Amino acid sequence: MPDKPISYEELTSGYKFPPATYELNASFVSKYLAAVDGSGDGFVPPLAITACAIAAMTKTIPLPAGTIAIHASQELEFLKSVPVGTTVDCHIGVAQKIARGKMSMLVLDLEILDKDKEKVQSGRATVALPT
Amino acid sequence: MVKHITQEKISLYAEASGDFNPIHVDEAFAAKTPFGGTIAHGMLNLAYVSEMMTSAFGKSWVSGGKLRAKFKESARPGDTLTITGKIDCIDQKSDVSYANCSFEVRNQKDETIVAGEAIVRLL
Repeated sequence: MPDKPISYEELTSGYKFPPATYELNASFVSKYLAAVDGSGDGFVPPLAITACAIAAMTKTIPLPAGTIAIHASQELEFLKSVPVGTTVDCHIGVAQKIARGKMSMLVLDLEILDKDKEKVQSGRATVALPT
Repeated sequence: MVKHITQEKISLYAEASGDFNPIHVDEAFAAKTPFGGTIAHGMLNLAYVSEMMTSAFGKSWVSGGKLRAKFKESARPGDTLTITGKIDCIDQKSDVSYANCSFEVRNQKDETIVAGEAIVRLL
């Protein structure tokens, strides 16, 4: 994902965010487990993987100064568990953009693949943001 | 399952995930928003649901589980969250059984923070 936010107009149905790559290393998993009061078993908690994808996406969504985006809903399917140390690629695209007054609802599809291109997770997030 | 939300945990989650949206970590910014203060990441609240499902179903959840969640209210520092789930019914498809579950995350005021459904294959 680029560090520089894209323009709001680019966020239309069919837009694909540049893919982001994450190494789900021991340091990352350890921090994540500390944050969620979890315990480790050698595998990456599935929501830790999703968290990377969501964070990468929210960093690139343009927001007017002083405003916030609201994560309204989340669908997820966990297809494969991965051990600590796995590298994954996150692919996110805009499935739908719905204008509602001064807000827009963005429906985003996400897919996370491992290095063998096997699907680890897929999902859909709905985010409300000011226009 | 009961979890206590603190600003320290929210900040730790921001650091782990890389999601430093100021509504989660900047108290001065958050105070000026309609929330009036910082709030926990929705995905942090949902992580507790996944932890509960992992405790109940183990590998079937982390490799084959599905969920659909709505973030209804925000959790704030100082909140105590209670995470509950139940099996609503069992479906049989081609010799495989699936548990259809519902879950909720509620705060100490009994407000629903997260609600949703999950499906997991039974071994």
